[in-house]
Amino acid sequence: MQDKIRQKARELLSSGAVKVVIGYGEGTGSRVRALFIQRPEDADRLIMDERCVQNLAVYLTKHEVRAIGKPAIVAKMPVIRSINHLAYEEQFNEGDIAVIGISDSDELVDLPDLTSVREYAAKNPLLLTAEERAELDKLETMTREERWNYWLEELSNCIKCYACRASCPMCYCPRCTVEVNQPQWISVPAHEIGNVEWHIMRAMHLAGRCVNCGECTRACPVKIPLRLLNQRIIADIAVNFGQSEDYALAAFNPNDKEDFIR
Amino acid sequence: MSRIGVFVCHCGTNISATVDCPGVAETLSHVPGVVHSVDYKYMCSDPGQTMIKDAIKEHKLDGVVVSACSPHMHEPTFRRACAEAGLNPYLCEMANLREHCSWVHDKEEATTVKAIDLVRKMVEKVKKNQPLYSIKVPVTKTALVLGGGIAGIQAALDIANAGHKVVMVERDPSIGGHMSQLSETFPTLDCSQCILTPRMVEVAQHPNITLHTYSELESLEGFIGNFKVKIRKKARCVDEKLCTGCGLCSQKCPTKKNLSEFNEGLGYRPAIYSPFPQAVPNKPVIDKTQCTFFLKGKCKVCEKVCPTKAIRYDQEDQILDIDIGAIVLATGFKVLQPDFFPEYGYGKYKDVIQGLQFERLASASGPTSGEMKRPSDGKEPETVVFVACAGSRDEAKGLPYCSKICCMYTAKHAMLYKHKVHHGNAYVFYMDIRSGGKMYDEFVRRAIEEDGVKYIRGRVSTIYEEDGKLIVKGADTLLGHQTVEIKADMVVLASAAVANDGAEELAQKLHVSYDPYHFFAEAHPKLRPVETNTAGIFLAGACQAPRDIPETVSQASGAASKVAALFSQSELTREPIIAVVNRTAPPLHSTCTGCALCVPACPYQAIEMEDIKNRDGKVVKRAAKINPGLCQGCGTCVALCRVKAIDLQGFSNEQIFAELMAL
Amino acid sequence: MAEFEPKVIAFVCNWCTYTGADLTGTSRIKHASNVRIIRLPCTGRIDFMLLMKAFAKGADGIIVSGCHPNDCHYTSGNFHARRRWIVYRSLLNFMGVDIRRIIFSWVSAAEGAKWAEVVNTAVNEFRALGPYDEYKNLAPIRANWRTEHAG
Repeated sequence: MQDKIRQKARELLSSGAVKVVIGYGEGTGSRVRALFIQRPEDADRLIMDERCVQNLAVYLTKHEVRAIGKPAIVAKMPVIRSINHLAYEEQFNEGDIAVIGISDSDELVDLPDLTSVREYAAKNPLLLTAEERAELDKLETMTREERWNYWLEELSNCIKCYACRASCPMCYCPRCTVEVNQPQWISVPAHEIGNVEWHIMRAMHLAGRCVNCGECTRACPVKIPLRLLNQRIIADIAVNFGQSEDYALAAFNPNDKEDFIR
Repeated sequence: MSRIGVFVCHCGTNISATVDCPGVAETLSHVPGVVHSVDYKYMCSDPGQTMIKDAIKEHKLDGVVVSACSPHMHEPTFRRACAEAGLNPYLCEMANLREHCSWVHDKEEATTVKAIDLVRKMVEKVKKNQPLYSIKVPVTKTALVLGGGIAGIQAALDIANAGHKVVMVERDPSIGGHMSQLSETFPTLDCSQCILTPRMVEVAQHPNITLHTYSELESLEGFIGNFKVKIRKKARCVDEKLCTGCGLCSQKCPTKKNLSEFNEGLGYRPAIYSPFPQAVPNKPVIDKTQCTFFLKGKCKVCEKVCPTKAIRYDQEDQILDIDIGAIVLATGFKVLQPDFFPEYGYGKYKDVIQGLQFERLASASGPTSGEMKRPSDGKEPETVVFVACAGSRDEAKGLPYCSKICCMYTAKHAMLYKHKVHHGNAYVFYMDIRSGGKMYDEFVRRAIEEDGVKYIRGRVSTIYEEDGKLIVKGADTLLGHQTVEIKADMVVLASAAVANDGAEELAQKLHVSYDPYHFFAEAHPKLRPVETNTAGIFLAGACQAPRDIPETVSQASGAASKVAALFSQSELTREPIIAVVNRTAPPLHSTCTGCALCVPACPYQAIEMEDIKNRDGKVVKRAAKINPGLCQGCGTCVALCRVKAIDLQGFSNEQIFAELMAL
Repeated sequence: MAEFEPKVIAFVCNWCTYTGADLTGTSRIKHASNVRIIRLPCTGRIDFMLLMKAFAKGADGIIVSGCHPNDCHYTSGNFHARRRWIVYRSLLNFMGVDIRRIIFSWVSAAEGAKWAEVVNTAVNEFRALGPYDEYKNLAPIRANWRTEHAG
């Protein structure tokens, strides 16, 4: 697989089809880092193994990356989904990026255009695994007070470093609402109220957009299981609104459930 | 520092009976930013309003909170008073002390505490209010009427008679619609053509109406008062200016065996044709799919015989650009097509026909000149079965709705048949008889009682041919589901009225919503029945739902009066309570992310994406833009916008936030 | 000690529930005085963050109310709002926020009596739940410092 990626990257760069290939490379220690390959002869620095899980799509909307020119991106399933969402949100147009797709069964996938990305994403709908659902259920079986205390304890560690935001491909907004101070929606200090508000907002803003790549949780320096919040919403959207390519919160069904409305 | 004036009204004793009004005024006078706080018996009275106006001038107020009744009651009153004193009316807010406080609570401390809270939150809101200015939208006083049936005709005439210009666009070669096909009309049995054709002629001759037949809407841009439409005028291959409508071309055309659309396939027409003798305009078109010249390259008989040399084989479709202020949609309906009823043999047996075909058989101008002759062999049918609800109210087939007109026209058909064939037998299979309407039930009773039409309550399960007869099998539910079998010579299906061809596509072009059956949706089922969700586009007739002629005509007049009201002023004034997308300094240009997720959420299709360009014309940003002509100010996009790039004037984030934080 | 009186903030739409509450007044139907109504054009305008801030500001309970389905003045604002609430409510519950303290209702302009009933039941329920100290105690730095110190 690694060789195929290198081969593909070399081709794309030498033909001039793209200016940069975004992929994975060896970092310090045994860690993996994102690599930005701009010369064909550097393509051999690209790697692909089980450590390569970071959602690279986050770089696609960074203006430093855009400034280099057209990118190609090494994209496993979560990245393909992110690209699909970003395209849906008009963050790039047809021809703006090239995708080196890798299937779950470790095969190169030919994704020549955004339509094929969309079709591929539709063919592989976002579903929670049994373990993920079990983890949600574990929290659901707690009493409300237990859940509240669980989250307070987790969130009290939050230092508002915003690594969760920085690592998320869908958090590309030029000015996050957490930085809005007219009015001040989110309390600034990394105190409980501000932390709770920030994480409620983050989860809600990702509702219907999160691809469950888990990057927020991996990025969190204090190990808050943030992805649980997103997974809760993913499950709710699937159950209540069904699978759809459209953004769930900009649509509605007249028969949406309302058993909670008096 | 703000300079807010607070005016507490006693409303006689309506408020002061349970709320300590002087106490409220006193407490508010200590709130930072409040420079003037008074109470008075009747704020809405002349002296009360004068008090506000004087205070605005004397204390140089930059915000006013009138603490009185519901804003639904007197907000316009007090805003006007502020405007008269030179204060922007949108810097005035009301605290609802009467409906929401004094009237619903007893006289106790908590009531006054609540009153103080209500006023204080409005003071905090007003501090964040911005002066707003009503939106003026210029209005092009030309209406587009899409569809030339009775709905379109009525709407066009009403608008034109009100003194406004009308452009009427009809897809077919002639106006007249389905009504021109009808023989007689219920409940009076007057001849359809006799009442319709004068109106068709009036349309053609009206100085305010421009008629484009054989034309279709190509595209629509813009918004209320300022639409830009493109009309495709299909090539008739006849110069309309030269043609006198003498009809010689049609007479001499060698290709005569083309099924006539007007006669619902029961008769023939030439390749160059006018749909019917009274057509308006009475100028023929060449059907290129059937004309020998277009198919084989030679013939040109019509060109040779035309006395005015009006034939133009090389004519091409024309695109007309027209500025329009309002649109009336009157595109009508169609009846279900044969493949819907395999069990009834429609399309298989020539003598199983649908309602519109029966109209043509009964019509004096029809293929049989009004004589009752069945299509297969031209014999007079002795027994005719009419099947009501053919397709309608059939959930299994996906049409759960009632087509509404069929009960009445079936009674009419049976009656017309009995009038022409006195000894004949007419049976009607029905589910229910729905004859609500002036003189309607009497009409049905007349069919049953005077004309001896036999009504059988039950559905028909199958129709098949046996020994030259059509065997109609059904059940009589009033006789304990007894099987009924009738040997008929002809069967008439009251086939369901469904949305016209291309209705969905047209709705999408116009950004008008439609129901699951592709009928266009009204803005409110009860209170705004002729408006659509798109401001400036109105509905008339059966394009909205199946309806009969009287209903269609009254709705068309309703739509026309809406258009006339819109055109009665040269500018449309709208409240500035609309959403706006922020614009900031470069390099950000706007905090909008350009994600476009707000676009589908807008109920009014008021949001589109806009390219922000720099001085060199280079696109530097793509951001949402809200059309102030279309936005109605619901704020759905505001709550949806993650980055708060959209805000709602009058109910902005800052205003609501301040209100909340005051509690 | 006097009985605990909950602080209740209601977010309502202008066309149905606000007008319905006006009718409560016109009909002189008495109800609990704990509720403070914030008027918005449509339930579609109700930002989920407003609900969050209401708790931060010390609300013991929240009422959110608008037009019945198909009655929305803006045709579909309430449908959009309902979707948002389905997701939001589940998320809050998952985080252990006491969602019994947020009451959603449809109250039409003709339902003055229903509004009084919604208010009374809500206030009774919130009273029974007691003060929402769990959330209030999160806010040692008061969320209103800005409005208090600004003009």
